[in-house]
Amino acid sequence: MAGVATLRKVQARPQASRQLAAGRWSQKIRRNVSAHGFLIGAVLCFTFFSWYPIVREVIMSFQKAVFGGGYAWTGFTNYVTIFHDPTFWQAWRNTLEFTLLALVIGYAVPFCVAVLLNELRHARGYLRILVYLPVMLPPASALLLFAYFYNAQYGLFDHILRILHLPTSQWVFQPGTGFISTAMVSVVIASTWMNMGGATLIYLAALQNIPGELYEAAELDGAGLFSRIRHITIPQTRLILLMLLMLQVVATMQMFVESFVLTNGGGGVGNNTQSVVMLIYQYAFALSGASNYNSASALGVVLMLVLAVFSGGFLWVTRERG
Amino acid sequence: MTTATTRTLISSTQLNRRGGKIAYRIILTLVIVVFTLVFIGPMYFLFADGLKSTGEAIATPPTLYPHHLHPATYRQAFDRMDVARLLWNTLYYAFGALAFQLVFDVAAAYSLSKLRPVLGNVIFFLMLATLMIPATVLVVPQYVTVADLPILHVNLIGTPEAIWLPSVANAFNIFLLKRFFDSIPADYIDAARIDGASRLAILRRIVLPISRPIIGVVSIFGLVAVWKDFLWPLLVEYGYSPTRESLNVGIWQASATTPQDLIIAASAMAAIPTIVFFLIFQRNIMAGLTAGGIRG
Amino acid sequence: MSRQTLRAVAAVAAVAGLGLAASACSSSGSSNASSGGKVTVSIDCAPTAANNPVQHKEWVTDVATFEKANPKITIQSVYNYPCEVPATFTAMLRAGTEPDIFYTYFTDLPQVLIAGQAADITPYVNSTTVPTLSDIVPGAMRAVTAGKTIYGLPTSNYTQGLIYNRTLFARAGLNPSQPPTTWAQVETDAAKIAKLGHGIYGYGDYSAGNTGGWHFSSYMDAMGGTMVNTTSAPPTAAFDNTNAVAVLDALHTMRFTEHAMSPTQGLTWGSLQQQMAENKLGMYIAAPDDIYNVIVPTDKGNVNNFAMGPLPSANGTPAGSLGGGNTYIFAKHDTPAQIKAGIKFIVFEDLTPGLGQFNFARIKADGQPVGFPEPELFDGTAGTKINSLRTKYATVNTSYFAPYVNANEADLGEPLDAQAVYKTLDPVMLAVLTEPSANISALLKTAAANVDTILANSPG
Repeated sequence: MAGVATLRKVQARPQASRQLAAGRWSQKIRRNVSAHGFLIGAVLCFTFFSWYPIVREVIMSFQKAVFGGGYAWTGFTNYVTIFHDPTFWQAWRNTLEFTLLALVIGYAVPFCVAVLLNELRHARGYLRILVYLPVMLPPASALLLFAYFYNAQYGLFDHILRILHLPTSQWVFQPGTGFISTAMVSVVIASTWMNMGGATLIYLAALQNIPGELYEAAELDGAGLFSRIRHITIPQTRLILLMLLMLQVVATMQMFVESFVLTNGGGGVGNNTQSVVMLIYQYAFALSGASNYNSASALGVVLMLVLAVFSGGFLWVTRERG
Repeated sequence: MTTATTRTLISSTQLNRRGGKIAYRIILTLVIVVFTLVFIGPMYFLFADGLKSTGEAIATPPTLYPHHLHPATYRQAFDRMDVARLLWNTLYYAFGALAFQLVFDVAAAYSLSKLRPVLGNVIFFLMLATLMIPATVLVVPQYVTVADLPILHVNLIGTPEAIWLPSVANAFNIFLLKRFFDSIPADYIDAARIDGASRLAILRRIVLPISRPIIGVVSIFGLVAVWKDFLWPLLVEYGYSPTRESLNVGIWQASATTPQDLIIAASAMAAIPTIVFFLIFQRNIMAGLTAGGIRG
Repeated sequence: MSRQTLRAVAAVAAVAGLGLAASACSSSGSSNASSGGKVTVSIDCAPTAANNPVQHKEWVTDVATFEKANPKITIQSVYNYPCEVPATFTAMLRAGTEPDIFYTYFTDLPQVLIAGQAADITPYVNSTTVPTLSDIVPGAMRAVTAGKTIYGLPTSNYTQGLIYNRTLFARAGLNPSQPPTTWAQVETDAAKIAKLGHGIYGYGDYSAGNTGGWHFSSYMDAMGGTMVNTTSAPPTAAFDNTNAVAVLDALHTMRFTEHAMSPTQGLTWGSLQQQMAENKLGMYIAAPDDIYNVIVPTDKGNVNNFAMGPLPSANGTPAGSLGGGNTYIFAKHDTPAQIKAGIKFIVFEDLTPGLGQFNFARIKADGQPVGFPEPELFDGTAGTKINSLRTKYATVNTSYFAPYVNANEADLGEPLDAQAVYKTLDPVMLAVLTEPSANISALLKTAAANVDTILANSPG
């Protein structure tokens, strides 16, 4: 009975329901317009300075410059050219070398330092400030300072080596293109000093969130120091560790300013510290008449793809199962 | 702060034992000494070597402290490299970028989180996608775009907007902000809505005051990013007018043609404001860093 | 939508709009051309007060004098130092943000033309507008001309020689008026100077920032070779030969056997001048203007300490020298009025004996050294006039430069795609100067192959 009554009620007032719907519709439009109004600034910036350049880079990588300032389509020529450039393979080797060295030195070290700092009950504030101070220096200042230290003639490091009767080194300009080259290690040392503070503090914060009872229990079970680290510390901070690992690899693959400033833009002896981004810079800006925005774009696209594959793969492998 | 009940890898009882205490003190001292050497050591040279004369700065072997104090070096470096101007430029770029980011990115995050426009998810996804494509990779097309903005045909090279506007396209900040806004209980917002407050008023009077921590984090990230940027300012602000250069670019560009002692002195002067800023705000900075980290 | 939301959106849009509007108004580079018969021309490479205070003062005075004589013209100076950094120069051309008149190296014209940024000024260049036009040496005019079209005006040129430190020569027991002329002599002298110790080294050279390859090219010119073989199509590298090996071998020996060169390598333009000014370096190759533009004014060296000999060669007589120079090119966006005004100013400042850069009386009065054999922009009447002025107001002992002047090196210009070629040879120089066991022939082979690729792919 109620159903029939409702039906009749509804049938009796179609106008009203349509008005209601119309009211809701205009409300929806109003809500959307104002929401998009808040969004528009960021969206415009993204469009001009992020999405459009991405598209443009792909397009430019398939073009070549013509006399007088225009561009013409040229298919895969640019990619072929850069693949045939021996510096291309060298730059990738170097970048991989830097990334791996940076993982060992610049990733493991901050974590170990954080674990150590976490154990100390005194001077915590002081030590945290110390570690983070280099991060605040302007990179050019810090790197020029290191270049000064690395100077083979009047630099501090070789001076110390000489006092200790150890063989001196040319540091960033040490020849040698083996997979672990002194030159690249020198770059990594400078880079780590400049950057490790941030990671260390983030790890420190994560470590402080580990419930003490877990350690208590483990110790009662007879677990040794390293066992506790392996089975409690690391799993508890797994998320942070993985996130920073991915961020670090992505960041180190784009290394530029460290080797650029330390080697005067040259890329070191035999190009042994030239990174991929440095090569992009060189293709685009450092060859004057032969400068080639399109080769640079092609290399940029390759780097984009490599990073995308890495990030995607990393996220998939480390996804939370279950 | 660790209390008696919270413990870490090594328990307090272990440390309070006689052997433990001695080992602890030795390690503590070692750590303090080594860390001071490693982190403050280079800074010492940064400031001390700036006090050397040119001859002493490139003397072989190097001197560990200036044998002849030469404070004129600082004055010379300040004038010749126009350190004050470089500092001012960089601060201008950094705070300008921050202002743009706070206005546009906060508004965007608020919209995506609370206002939920149509296509909002698509837009957010597209923004996140750019996280996989870092800025350095896009340097060349960004440069070409900034030189001639499509549709508007405006040339931004040499203008501060060339640094400010691209900095707004920061998906990480929007992500952090949105995540924080998502965690604001809907009841707060709904209550205000029912009371008739406009969306802007809600943003201003409810969301922003609660969001101080995350805004702090985002601000620090934003400022530091512009402060440390090298390649982009080198391309868009160097041009041929040194009065627009940022700190990094100016110092680097002068390094080839300026004596070593002046470079070091200028670097030291460039470092002072950051160090002072850091020492004043270090609690906030640390808190911001760790807050951003923990929630991960 | 509610009024408040409307206000919010409007505020956001306003900020954005203001930002863009401000940028549009403040775009750097080209100045507003003219209004009511008045013309403004922007020109760069004006000397900076910080690095070249005296030249800066002279420039400002000249601009004032010129503007007074030409009330309809305003000169907008862009102060920068160094005048060109190849990386940002390229970027500037691509973006079209160069000033109305911009400084280039001799080797830059092809790049400027490819980017489509040069204005054709041929109709405005004649013996009336440029009185000394016919006296300009052909090599210099070549740098601003493509085919029959003129795009700018040269302002200085140079060849290179061996700058050496008389004080250090004397201290090392060498005759300061007798610079070495063969590589063998250079090695001996450098070794003797390095024995003075205290961070003093006998010889120095660049190996970064394209300057290593630049100097290498000069060495090759002196030995009688060339860098690029332009008769083949496409052109190919021509430096993989015994001359190159001899030069690199000498450098390598000085560095590693005699320890006459500093262990610090990877140097670029600016470093050797500093060392020379501090009396820490015995010799290096450069053009004479290094002394009066850099070592004395910027690095505060004592002008009487320096002298010049010819480039080192195999038998003592250099076959030639790399010849370069600078020009002012007119930007594509210039109006005819700007071009005419610009030509007038450049002629006043750079191409008239007795005025601007050739105002030796003033340079002497300002306490700057006079008497250097550079630039040698002119032959004929203008050339004679300049030389007599130079002699009249000379403040330096011109006999210090006699060995260089008397060698009368032929100006061999610069190779095709010069900057790219130089960049490819930087690593060769760097390896020779940092690797004790450098394989010189392998390095040359690789560099030659790379240069071949560059020349084959070059669009110009």
